[in-house]
Amino acid sequence: MGIKVQSVSMKLKRMARTFTVGASLTVLFAFSQSRQSTESNHLKLPFKKAGLTERQAAAHLLSRFSFGARPGEVDEVLHIGLENWLDQQFRASLPDSSVNRRLQGMEALTLSNESIANTYLTPAQLIKIAAKNKIISRDATGSLDKKEFRDQIKTIMDQEGLKPFIELQTQLINQKIIRAAYSNNQLQEVMTDFWFNHFNVSLTKPQCQQFILTFERDAIRPNVFSDFKNLLLATAKHPAMLEYLDNASSVSNNNELSKRPGRIQAQKKIEQKIQSQLAENSNTAANGFIQQAISARKVQGLNENYAREVMELHTLGVDGGYTQKDVTEVARALTGWSVTPLLKDGVGKNIMDKMGEKRMERNGFMVDGDFLYRADKHDDSAKTILGRTFSVKGGYQEGVDVLNMLSSLPNTAKFICKKIAVRFVSDQPSNELLNKMTDTYLTHHGNIKEVLVTMVNSEEFWKEDALREKIKSPFELTISSIRATNADVKMPMQIFNWCSKMGQRFYFYQAPTGFPDRGGYWINTGSLLNRMNFGLAFATGKIPGVTLDLLALNQHHEPESAEAALKIYSTILLPERNQEANIRRLTVLINDNKVGDKIDAAANSLSSANSETESDMMLSEKAEQKQEKAMLSKKNKPFNVSVLSGNNSTVAQVTGVIIGSPEFQRK
Amino acid sequence: MVNRRAFMKSGALAIFASGFGGLPNFIAQAAASNKLITPYKKNKVMVCIFQRGAMDGLMAVSPYSDPALKTLRPSLFMSPSEKEGALFDLDGRFGMHPSLAAFQPLFKDNRLAIVHGVGSPNNTRSHFDAQDYMEAGTPFNKGTSSGWLNRVAGLLGHDPTPFRSVSLTSALPRSLYGDNESLAINNLQDFAIQMKSTPGAGNIVAKSFEELYDQTSNDLLNKTGKESFDAMKMLNVNNIRNYQPLKDVVYPNSALGNSLKQIAILIKMDVGLEIGFAESGGWDTHVNQGTTNGALARNLKDFSESIAAFWKDLAAYQDDVTVMTMTEFGRTAHQNGTGGTDHGRASCLFVLGNDVKGGSVYQNIKSLAKEDLEDGRDLPVTTDFRAVFSGVANHHLKISNNKILFPDWTGNSVNLMRS
Repeated sequence: MGIKVQSVSMKLKRMARTFTVGASLTVLFAFSQSRQSTESNHLKLPFKKAGLTERQAAAHLLSRFSFGARPGEVDEVLHIGLENWLDQQFRASLPDSSVNRRLQGMEALTLSNESIANTYLTPAQLIKIAAKNKIISRDATGSLDKKEFRDQIKTIMDQEGLKPFIELQTQLINQKIIRAAYSNNQLQEVMTDFWFNHFNVSLTKPQCQQFILTFERDAIRPNVFSDFKNLLLATAKHPAMLEYLDNASSVSNNNELSKRPGRIQAQKKIEQKIQSQLAENSNTAANGFIQQAISARKVQGLNENYAREVMELHTLGVDGGYTQKDVTEVARALTGWSVTPLLKDGVGKNIMDKMGEKRMERNGFMVDGDFLYRADKHDDSAKTILGRTFSVKGGYQEGVDVLNMLSSLPNTAKFICKKIAVRFVSDQPSNELLNKMTDTYLTHHGNIKEVLVTMVNSEEFWKEDALREKIKSPFELTISSIRATNADVKMPMQIFNWCSKMGQRFYFYQAPTGFPDRGGYWINTGSLLNRMNFGLAFATGKIPGVTLDLLALNQHHEPESAEAALKIYSTILLPERNQEANIRRLTVLINDNKVGDKIDAAANSLSSANSETESDMMLSEKAEQKQEKAMLSKKNKPFNVSVLSGNNSTVAQVTGVIIGSPEFQRK
Repeated sequence: MVNRRAFMKSGALAIFASGFGGLPNFIAQAAASNKLITPYKKNKVMVCIFQRGAMDGLMAVSPYSDPALKTLRPSLFMSPSEKEGALFDLDGRFGMHPSLAAFQPLFKDNRLAIVHGVGSPNNTRSHFDAQDYMEAGTPFNKGTSSGWLNRVAGLLGHDPTPFRSVSLTSALPRSLYGDNESLAINNLQDFAIQMKSTPGAGNIVAKSFEELYDQTSNDLLNKTGKESFDAMKMLNVNNIRNYQPLKDVVYPNSALGNSLKQIAILIKMDVGLEIGFAESGGWDTHVNQGTTNGALARNLKDFSESIAAFWKDLAAYQDDVTVMTMTEFGRTAHQNGTGGTDHGRASCLFVLGNDVKGGSVYQNIKSLAKEDLEDGRDLPVTTDFRAVFSGVANHHLKISNNKILFPDWTGNSVNLMRS
């Protein structure tokens, strides 16, 4: 079966090459990539004008363009020069052996959507298999709660090389943490995080959850410094976005293909086939599902979801000057934009195989990777969008033209530039800065790298009131803690759990807005207490699978006094910040003789602070937790040894308080 | 009026203890503390539930007798006369979705009122804009810095405890933005600096954190830090961990169920809660909305069962509590091409309380005939959300300044509360 699947996908790839549109896109893309690497020598960072020393500037640059400075990294940046460092980051081609080593064994990371969809099965797919193998009876309502069912399913899955979706999800989450913490190409990861959030898709939606890994890998990461239109088009055509915002199911019969007599007959045949499948299938739950699909089929048509959000959230912004009519027209222009059938044995796949590439091409279909343009589901009539007319029978290219138009509009430039400035400069960037960035966007056809260059070439980026003005997101807090202490993370899922507790369950944000990017969103009573608790748990070695050697950060010299420890570790963790306030406050704490003992006792009996299970996680996730527990018990508390060796719990404690302190929440 | 201090001295502790299955330490602590929060009287509580994503009001409470509905929604139409999954007939015109079964006894009992055709005069069909406008309470002004519930808090006219306005969410909702202290927390158990086994150590660490946050130059961190430590001192998380709802009360194990359970804890603990906020997601049913078994049915079931469990769990406290639900807009009158509904205009909301004139559907809806629809597609807004919000808040919380509550609004409140 596997071989057959492969041959089909190869066929599709060959087809893609035959389409001139697809080919020319590839050329364009390659061109913009090469331009990027040659045109980057106009960085002139005006930090001196803004009153910063070079060292302060390096620290600021690291706090905004990386996930936080590692010990000694400020010196490294000074050594190679700020401009050169930034240039390297834009090229994003530094070797990443540490990341590669840590990602070894995560086999899903390189798979295609097709392999993933047929390997990492969602709960719905598992139920299907269960029904097919008669594990659950015809009256079961689609639940696999019972252990005996699960055991039987597991046997079948092992035999056929199938895996539960949760394993894919775990790898997705783990790789993000690992890349952010350990990649040398930090800015690429920061921008990947930024653009993913801009084009948010969510694990909470079953239809798209299998494609989120490739969405980040194929649509986002390769395009983070590219022209915005490339990013927009790549996301628009990716299965994750097509499913998340429903465009894959937004269709029209307003085209010649649908009106052909043969077509109507073919439709009948399909329905008959589904009916006969229905008769064969003894599972009532599955039957109900099929019935629902049939009734949905009968009334199929337009869905405005993506069309609205692409203007509101991805390009123009909510005040970008579009109307409800524009939303409907964009939706019509994008009808037929869908996903190639990926499931083996699926009805769609058979139809496509039978149709053959020649016929598809002749009829105006278009395949590009996993993207499928269905000419038979496209609204062929003319449209007027934002005052521009798109004439009849625009086909696939019409949708591309619409997206390119949206990318090039001044309101889009403003919206995108503001979002970038808010991420990198302050929650309220000045109009002066925004105007400069917007100009660059419009004169450089939306090239993101150019916009970033304009931003860092502006004094506003370096001004006193921008320094330390941004509050770290929970993700940024955890990753910057790992980086600042050279911590070794063996169980990234534990870091994810802490991020969830602090309010950022990444990859799970349900709304297409993505997480809001402002301090007021992250900082509230509950999250603040959790940030402090994170600092303590992290530094005292109480997060399973996270080891850190705090003494190594000081060349294994034990600080000669508590005050010395405070000074040393504040400087390591918060380079180029004003330490006095922190140190003054903390001196009182560490001079309490008994504190060390108390902390020691507390730390040693503290169980993992996040052992609670998340109530809304799926059954299979418990297996994951069991795995981690097993790993823990095997090694029997491996995680606090290095921290507490040499009775340095005070150092750990001080570090924990520094991480939980207000200063460390700022970037 | 019995004030807090007197209440604690009066031996009423026993009543509390029985409610929790253990001695409420925080009361003992608070009693022993010299820094007791300003005495206050036992308060009324308004609990707001935001249904994010826009609930389809036309399916939740369906105007089934309108002949246009079946034409507009061929595969999403429901009626009271079906054999299975029949609507619960409310008044011969509207029927409640069968998944709202938990609401039926409350409606029959005249404690639950429904307002239909509710929405904002601003016709934006953007979730995020509409939520912003509704929560700010100023449908044409994005610049409003405060949320309407925060202004409610300001109008209460007495000193707050750290728990006066609490949102059971990981981030503070727009409704509570503003100058009046409000608190957001996902899980009440997080109210501690976790140095579990040695309370002494935890306290010292907490103190050092408190001083650090007290000194920081960043306003946001400073203000929130203060609120966090005040709240932390007042709440003993052990009481929350051991909380048992009343007998026979089962909260759905869902985000909303858990949030409402925690609001019930705060109410029973009498820590000064007056405004509670919770939210529920997943109402954006663009695809395969379904009738009796779809996404909407599942959501409605969780929604109504969570609220019903909360209500039952409150028992003796019911007189003090009113629950009001809200959603940013409704959905298209016609079904879309994917078995769902797109963004529309008016929806419906629910108000539950002993001082609610329940058992009725309050509405000014004309019909679903094309000429009566907004833009020929959506149920028009015939009741301004501010008319409902102000009616409920003013009456239940005894406040009266609509100019502050909803500036730019001069309409009349809907009168659905008993006087």
